[in-house]
Amino acid sequence: MGNTRSSQFVSRTAATAAGNLALVALVLGAGLVYGIGGSSAREDLVTDALINLVIVIGLQVFIGNTGVLSFGHLAFGSIAAYTTALLAVPATRKEVLLPNAPWGIQGVEINVLVATLLGVAAAVVIGALLGLVMARTSGLAATMITLAFLFVTEAVAENWIDLTNGAGSISSVPRLESRTWILLAVALAVAAAAAFRHSAIGRFAQAGREDELAAGAMGIDLRVTRFAALVVSAGLVGLGGSMRSQSLGTVNPTQFSFELSVIVLAMLVVGGMRTISGAIVGTVLVTVGKDVFRWLGDGPGGLPTVEGMPDFFLAALLLAVLLTRPSGLLGDWDAGQLAARRLKASEIRSAGRTQYGSGSSESGSALVADGLGVTFGGFTAVDAVSLRVEPGEVRGLIGPNGAGKTTFVNLLTGMVPATRGSASLGGSPLAGAPHAIARQGVARTFQNLRVFANLSVRENVAVAALSAARHRADRPPVDVDELLAVSGLADLADRPAATLDYGNQRRLEIARAAALRPEFLLLDEPTSGMSDTESEAMIGHVRTVAGLVGAGVLVIDHDLGFITSICDRITVLDHGEVIAEGTPAEVRADPAVIAAYLGSQADEIPANEVQA
Amino acid sequence: MLAVEQLTTRYGSLTALHQATLRVDEGELITLVGPNGAGKTTLLTTITGLLRPAGGRVTFEGRDITGWDPARLVRAGLALVPERRRIFKDLTVAENLKLAGVTASAADRRERLARLPEVFPILRDRWSTAAGFLSGGEAQQLAVARALMSDPKLLLLDEPCLGLAPTMVDVVFDLLVDLRRQGRTILVVEQQARRALSIADRAYVLRTGRIVAEGPAAELARRADLFEAYVGGASAVGGGTAGGGAP
Amino acid sequence: MTGFVQNLIDGLGNGSTYALMAVGVSLIFGVMHLVNFAHGELLTVAAYMTYFLQTRGTSWWIIVPLAITTAMVTSMGVEAVAFRRIRGANPFTLLLTSFALEILSHACWKLFVGSERKQFDKPGWAFNTFQVGPFLFEVWDVAAIVTTIVCLTATAWILRNTLFGLAIRASAEDFDAARLMGVKANRVISGAFALAGVLAGIFAALSLMRTGLAEPRMGANPLLKAVLAAIIGGLGSLQGAVVGGLALGVAEVFVRGYVGDWFGSQAAGLTDGVVFALIALLFVVRPQGLFNVATAERV
Repeated sequence: MGNTRSSQFVSRTAATAAGNLALVALVLGAGLVYGIGGSSAREDLVTDALINLVIVIGLQVFIGNTGVLSFGHLAFGSIAAYTTALLAVPATRKEVLLPNAPWGIQGVEINVLVATLLGVAAAVVIGALLGLVMARTSGLAATMITLAFLFVTEAVAENWIDLTNGAGSISSVPRLESRTWILLAVALAVAAAAAFRHSAIGRFAQAGREDELAAGAMGIDLRVTRFAALVVSAGLVGLGGSMRSQSLGTVNPTQFSFELSVIVLAMLVVGGMRTISGAIVGTVLVTVGKDVFRWLGDGPGGLPTVEGMPDFFLAALLLAVLLTRPSGLLGDWDAGQLAARRLKASEIRSAGRTQYGSGSSESGSALVADGLGVTFGGFTAVDAVSLRVEPGEVRGLIGPNGAGKTTFVNLLTGMVPATRGSASLGGSPLAGAPHAIARQGVARTFQNLRVFANLSVRENVAVAALSAARHRADRPPVDVDELLAVSGLADLADRPAATLDYGNQRRLEIARAAALRPEFLLLDEPTSGMSDTESEAMIGHVRTVAGLVGAGVLVIDHDLGFITSICDRITVLDHGEVIAEGTPAEVRADPAVIAAYLGSQADEIPANEVQA
Repeated sequence: MLAVEQLTTRYGSLTALHQATLRVDEGELITLVGPNGAGKTTLLTTITGLLRPAGGRVTFEGRDITGWDPARLVRAGLALVPERRRIFKDLTVAENLKLAGVTASAADRRERLARLPEVFPILRDRWSTAAGFLSGGEAQQLAVARALMSDPKLLLLDEPCLGLAPTMVDVVFDLLVDLRRQGRTILVVEQQARRALSIADRAYVLRTGRIVAEGPAAELARRADLFEAYVGGASAVGGGTAGGGAP
Repeated sequence: MTGFVQNLIDGLGNGSTYALMAVGVSLIFGVMHLVNFAHGELLTVAAYMTYFLQTRGTSWWIIVPLAITTAMVTSMGVEAVAFRRIRGANPFTLLLTSFALEILSHACWKLFVGSERKQFDKPGWAFNTFQVGPFLFEVWDVAAIVTTIVCLTATAWILRNTLFGLAIRASAEDFDAARLMGVKANRVISGAFALAGVLAGIFAALSLMRTGLAEPRMGANPLLKAVLAAIIGGLGSLQGAVVGGLALGVAEVFVRGYVGDWFGSQAAGLTDGVVFALIALLFVVRPQGLFNVATAERV
């Protein structure tokens, strides 16, 4: 199995890398043609575009995979560039430029290649530190931290004159004579980005990008994935930054300013942040476009000179894309897909059969809640609920609206911290973050559907299976294609999950949870919104999937027909407490249950006394 | 007064409401019962304009109000007491009421602000307290009082008893009966079917987005298989209108 | 001690102007969940208009109300033309769109007016100084603090006591519930932008009196401070915005002083860096800002 997975990884990475390198070659070809017979300015443009590619692809690794917006990545470029310069600029120049340089830097002079590598290393180290700092934040707070990081770095570069010469620049940086190094860097960037994208950590990051909560429920620790993405992207952007100053021959804070950060970000967003091809296309489009508009602004052929044309172009393009195609021009399309088709590289289907029914029934892990409860402010949503679900059992959890059923499931899965009581699985306490609990063997679906919208149907399930392979390796693995087939989704496997109809999305969510090979599946209203026929079909579906992976089931639903048919036993909640528990027949006949649903029999059924 | 015809609403790929048809005549108290997920809230949300229907029509006093903005509907005389109340927790009781009177003239607003605490003494006690500190029952009363600030012709209530202790449930139902006595037209969506049926004139049963039963409330209450029709027992699979469906 | 109080006064003076902008940012976020990076451009519009009028001899007594009105109208216009279109989009898109508008504005000014600074005369009386005990005050300082206090008090009053203010507060808490009460969505959002615009206009007037400059990118820095202040205080919380603005102003002044003491002259420019580092620290420790504006996500 491991063999299959790594060979899949290699082939997919190769396909993506190949496709995108072909794209770069195309661009380069066009650039070379453009450069023929032109001034050195044209050559510079091509070089400029290539270096931008390294930077933007590096940025794509982070923003594209995690979905977290970063304004600060150019700081890594700055760090690497200054490190390279400080190590590689001849000592004689340093005496003049940096007379008071600390740490004996003045005397150091090493080979520029080594210096570049050390620069990249420095960026990676700082990236790791930033990653640790940012571990627990997301969304706007994280973005603001990256912004702060950029400004802090800029401030240091501008003001620590002894080390950086501030705005005065460090010149005599060894120049890149041949473009070969830059091309190598681009190839490296493409390869690294492709590898990350198809790696387990990259795929986990993408799941987190699509839906944080659902990713956690699949056992994915987003702190680790974001950290990894940040470190890799820091290295790549650092490489680009270092090369930039080498191509210019100087290092200067303005090479890594906020304005340039915006431009680099725009390049990524315009092309489409989710794919490498998007990064490439966006970079080329913006770099070339800006140059064209600069030329226009210089007043060709008698036109008046205008300032600010390139900025205008960039802003207008960005705005246009955001208002009409927010996912970027390329959306989810990647040149690697073409290559994959050509090489028929990817899907190795049904390499093994899922082992039926083994798992929890043998290991005997019961799901136990012991006086579990939570109080928010003055309101007790769940009041000391105790229940025990035997391994392999199918238990229904029902009750009127507001009874606390979903809150109870949230307690079990760690999304809501309990204020009393505890839960355990097979004797081990269920505690910690949702991803930890998922790894212990409790998988869930959500009342408000949370599929990974932009990932394919197959990938939705595959990423959960991958998580199981990593974090529940002692269980026999689940065959993704079999799970899809059993769920009726085999034909839809390559489509983005968001394009599926409602019923199929519900089935996908269940398949995804099952792919975790859990001890228990917690299903939150799987038939919500379904017609009677669809609900009937769901009965067989849930049974089959649960049986396939050997999981017990705790299912919340309001459709008593469904619950009755599928459950061995039913627990009834009302006002946060258990009011009944038993077989379906017992529960349906229980007056307390009927009263909870229909209301108490306040009066005998009268004729309505109020006449107009 | 209110006529809903073949109303269909979708959330993305999910069809939450299938060609629902019902009517409320002036002076009536109509109840719509059904289990959760049946589409009751979707129906009310579509009528009051927060959701656009994919098909069908809503008319009020003869005018087609389908897809009207909620604010416009309030001015036309419709008011909704939303599910889980949705009172403004950071505003005081007084401010909640005042805001709900935004569609009325200043004089009317003042008059109602003076009158409502007499109907709801609780409000007088908590006049300047932030609404977030009210108990469930108090909050429900505030929510109803808020809706009354626009002096609506038709009052819509979405599960007013949700999350309330049994004593408060009594209070709410007594309140509804009172309001009806005063001549208000009411459409109340409730999960607690028995109580709702005991005070209503006519009723509709909604399940999986479809109206599966309708008729005089007393008749529906007498149906032995109400629980089945309600929560979808095996016998009610594919159930039709009043009279019970065959499997 | 004298130095401390003097610094405090300076800090509060600056901080109160940040508060004016920060309140606007928070207001807009409250009703639309949008961090409006284009908000600073209102300053630029007011600046160029001021330059145009002042160099033609118009009195400041006319310029100030015009600047405020211009800012208000521009703010409402941008909402109607650009932001209304993307209401309800995901936060990433909203943020980037407001950002794109900011750089579009920079580009347009550069394009149509030119990037060199335009200068105009500042009102002389603003810089008269007077002494109170050991402390030195500029008339401008006093004007700034007093104006800001008046404005923020007026804003608070509006929010507390008028139906319009109630509508904004309610919409910020639960937009749809407000609509169900009869509040018109467009009016509320328009109104929030208008109010934010007025505050920005007042900030502009104060700032322009002090700097006498107009240039294309002048809105960027104040906007950044405003956004940071609003986030420090907790987006959507208006008290938070005020506290955040004052805190930022005071922090800057004190950090500048200490940094100068510790690192010597070379480090004067490091102030910004240190302030940013502190802000980053705050976001790590308390990402939701100082004043909690809870937004629960339903699972």
